[in-house]
Amino acid sequence: SSNDFFSPQTFHSSMHVTQKLELFPDHRLTQMLFKEVKNAAELRQSAMSGKINGALINPTMLVDPFQTLVAANKAVSLQKTGKMKTRSLYSEIIFNLSPTNNISEAFKRFGISDDNDSVLVALVHSEDESQLLTDIAAMVTGQQVPVEDISSLTDQEKIKKLYKITAQEEKCGTLLDAVVCRMATKDVM
Amino acid sequence: MCSSQSRGSERRWTEVNMTQGESMAVSEFLARAKLIKQGAEARVYRVEFLGRPTIVKERFPKRYRHPSLDDKLTHRRTVQEVRSILRCRRAGISAPVVYFVDYTSHCIFLEEIVGSLTVRDHIISIQQSNSCKMLQLDQLAEKVGQILAKMHDEDVIHGDLTTSNMLLRQGMQSDLKAFLSTHPNTEVLFEKLLKSYAASSKKSSAVIKKLDEVRLRGRKRSMVG
Repeated sequence: SSNDFFSPQTFHSSMHVTQKLELFPDHRLTQMLFKEVKNAAELRQSAMSGKINGALINPTMLVDPFQTLVAANKAVSLQKTGKMKTRSLYSEIIFNLSPTNNISEAFKRFGISDDNDSVLVALVHSEDESQLLTDIAAMVTGQQVPVEDISSLTDQEKIKKLYKITAQEEKCGTLLDAVVCRMATKDVM
Repeated sequence: MCSSQSRGSERRWTEVNMTQGESMAVSEFLARAKLIKQGAEARVYRVEFLGRPTIVKERFPKRYRHPSLDDKLTHRRTVQEVRSILRCRRAGISAPVVYFVDYTSHCIFLEEIVGSLTVRDHIISIQQSNSCKMLQLDQLAEKVGQILAKMHDEDVIHGDLTTSNMLLRQGMQSDLKAFLSTHPNTEVLFEKLLKSYAASSKKSSAVIKKLDEVRLRGRKRSMVG
């Protein structure tokens, strides 16, 4: 699964990862990962007030950045058809990561809390938005690390429990497969 | 209250308008995609989606049906397929990962099982080779019987169980994805499959009884024709 970072569609600098959303050719998703974050409370406030126009995600709930990509594709698709379940594209991305249809629970689990010391920032944009990335990076008091480092933060046990992943299911695929499948099918389960 | 409500409805109206303009994203994407199969129910495409090799199954509108009935039926079938895939995976049956479902265009975006072979093609190639034909076929029938038993134990009914709808992952044991049309002289094999099915399933006796009943009807008397 980590091979996705090396696919020709993916542009990656040393730190952030930008990927195309094939269904929406003028949309890109950029992910940035920060560790040793000291101002999570302030960042959360900025996201709520709209000062940060992006999704702030708790990286311990992610197995792989592919999860965010799946959530973002679904969010943009529902936004275009007027069928989002939450108020904004960024809250919709966080909601889409959750296995349930409970919005506040999704925020509690997948959004950042004031005591988080790591954060994944997800931005949906068109073309090159390097200024936007610099601006957001400047707001985080913490150390930016390559997005691929996310696996070192993953809380596998918590994820298995939350998504109710059975031992049987793990035999027919990876944990990421199981998680993505839950995310993509949750509205009909 | 009135003003906020009317504003709300105005916004909704714009969104609906946008919907009609933008729900084309998937159709525009598929117009450029490689069509690999066209059936009576659906079209199947091979694409790259979210950077991964992906199969798209599109249930297209049937013009011979009333549009609203057609939409309802197609929607229901899409939902049922998605649910069955997840149920199979939860039971440890290797069905493809679902990446995305578009309920507007009735498309399911699935993991492509790269380098896989249909069970149908596999049986044909075994029958054409000379070495240990029976052993290979026996093992295959046994495996299919086991997977099918597991599926039925989960109350998942495939509905179109043919060897063309099952994939074998390269170098691995058989994976049941979705039994058959034209494999001559495979009655013995089918019996083998049924034996394995009965041994694995918790509720096989009722199913076998029903099968005996169906066989007496005449058409598909052997279930392999």
